[in-house]
Amino acid sequence: MLLLAFTAPAVSAAREHLQVFVAEPYLELHTGAGRGYPVFNVVPRGESVDVLYRRTDWFRVRTERGVEGWASQKDMQRAQLADGTAFTFDLGDRAGFTSHRWEVGVFAGNYGGATLVSGYSSFSFNSQLAAELSVGQFLGKFTNGVTGDIGLTHVIVPEWRLSPFLMLGTGLVHITPKATLVVPSDRTDQTAYVGGGVRYYLTRRFFVRGEYKAHEIFTKRNANQQVDEWKLGFAFFF
Amino acid sequence: METGIRVLLLIAAATLLQGCVVRNWIHHHNEVKAERQAAKDEEARAAQQQDDTDAPPPRVVDPDVERRKITVPKIRSSNVEFGLHYGALSVEDFGTNAVYGADISYHVTEDFYLMGEVGRSQAGRTSFETLGGNVQLLTGAERRFTYYNLALGYNFLPGEAFLGRGTAMPSAFYLLGGIGSVKFAGDDHFAVSFGAGYRLLPSDWFAVHISVQDRVFKSDLLGTSKLTNNIEARIGTSVYF
Repeated sequence: MLLLAFTAPAVSAAREHLQVFVAEPYLELHTGAGRGYPVFNVVPRGESVDVLYRRTDWFRVRTERGVEGWASQKDMQRAQLADGTAFTFDLGDRAGFTSHRWEVGVFAGNYGGATLVSGYSSFSFNSQLAAELSVGQFLGKFTNGVTGDIGLTHVIVPEWRLSPFLMLGTGLVHITPKATLVVPSDRTDQTAYVGGGVRYYLTRRFFVRGEYKAHEIFTKRNANQQVDEWKLGFAFFF
Repeated sequence: METGIRVLLLIAAATLLQGCVVRNWIHHHNEVKAERQAAKDEEARAAQQQDDTDAPPPRVVDPDVERRKITVPKIRSSNVEFGLHYGALSVEDFGTNAVYGADISYHVTEDFYLMGEVGRSQAGRTSFETLGGNVQLLTGAERRFTYYNLALGYNFLPGEAFLGRGTAMPSAFYLLGGIGSVKFAGDDHFAVSFGAGYRLLPSDWFAVHISVQDRVFKSDLLGTSKLTNNIEARIGTSVYF
């Protein structure tokens, strides 16, 4: 018995890649990560594939015979793990819109009358609260500049397709007046903002986001400066 | 006297008989007890049998096997593409010059991706400067054309390109549209860009690109404010990781 125990194959040893078994009649392998690329191989039911990595909605897999190809997310959903349970993974659908870790997006907008190009990234602590970092460049008739904001975003009802959110944070703004103006020196000031907006789920991992921020710029002059920022853009989550 | 003996005999007989009766009774009692015990045993056996039909059959070997545990390793994502590009940029009114830069893309779905790119070129001389002899519109540093662009890409016409008889490489065309900024002639300009390209993947982590993009921005450098088209044609390589 003891001898048997020692000679038995170490089935529980951790594999480098996840092994999944084909449960449908066959699994199609494409030459590229997209539905338009041709099928060049099929894996019959009962055989296994090693999942190497994932690109968008496609999995790079290696068959028992060593053939590598791309299997679609839709087909892989029907595959099973070695213990017979279903192979589950993050799908990137509406449920993901409600609850996800990361967001990245691009905006075009208006910053105190100047054209604004901006990007942001956020990390969600839960489905409602996220920490957000955004940077932007505004290009105006009289001034150019860059902004950087860090703050918190609270999504009021994350389940809604059109869901409003509130924002609060602080940042820096670097303003470069154009040479023709009377005040020629650049300046960097601290800002604080409060804002709100809405996000609307489009499809897959995409959503549209529109927002307003009311900035209070703490200048070195007697009075603070208020700047309105409006922007609209699209973003995705992962 | 006789009566006395008779009484004595009677007593003795009665005692003996009684003893017999008692003995008999004890015997009978034991019998009943045994019968009851047998009935009880029978009942218990029946109950046992009943139990046996419900319970699984007795195990011959007690298996000592641990259930195989499936640890699902994290599946690596390969959605990010980093590339370098080199090409020619035609700066409106300032001739065509070499341009180089870098780009990074995140592939969100098989169709759409988000791209950020930066690039730099050095603009040449306008015809006015060339003809005018010593006229210099811009300083050397002002001739530097630097841009960044945040774009959305859309893949279309996926297919395979064949190299000879034995090699097929996945390929796709893509469209790009983005917003960004161009720093040129000492000023930052808001720029809109659009373009198209072709991507060829000799391997699953390496790609070759050929693309053309037009960067449009408003410039008032030459007196009047006008939209300038700055067309860039380039080749690039990228790796997925």
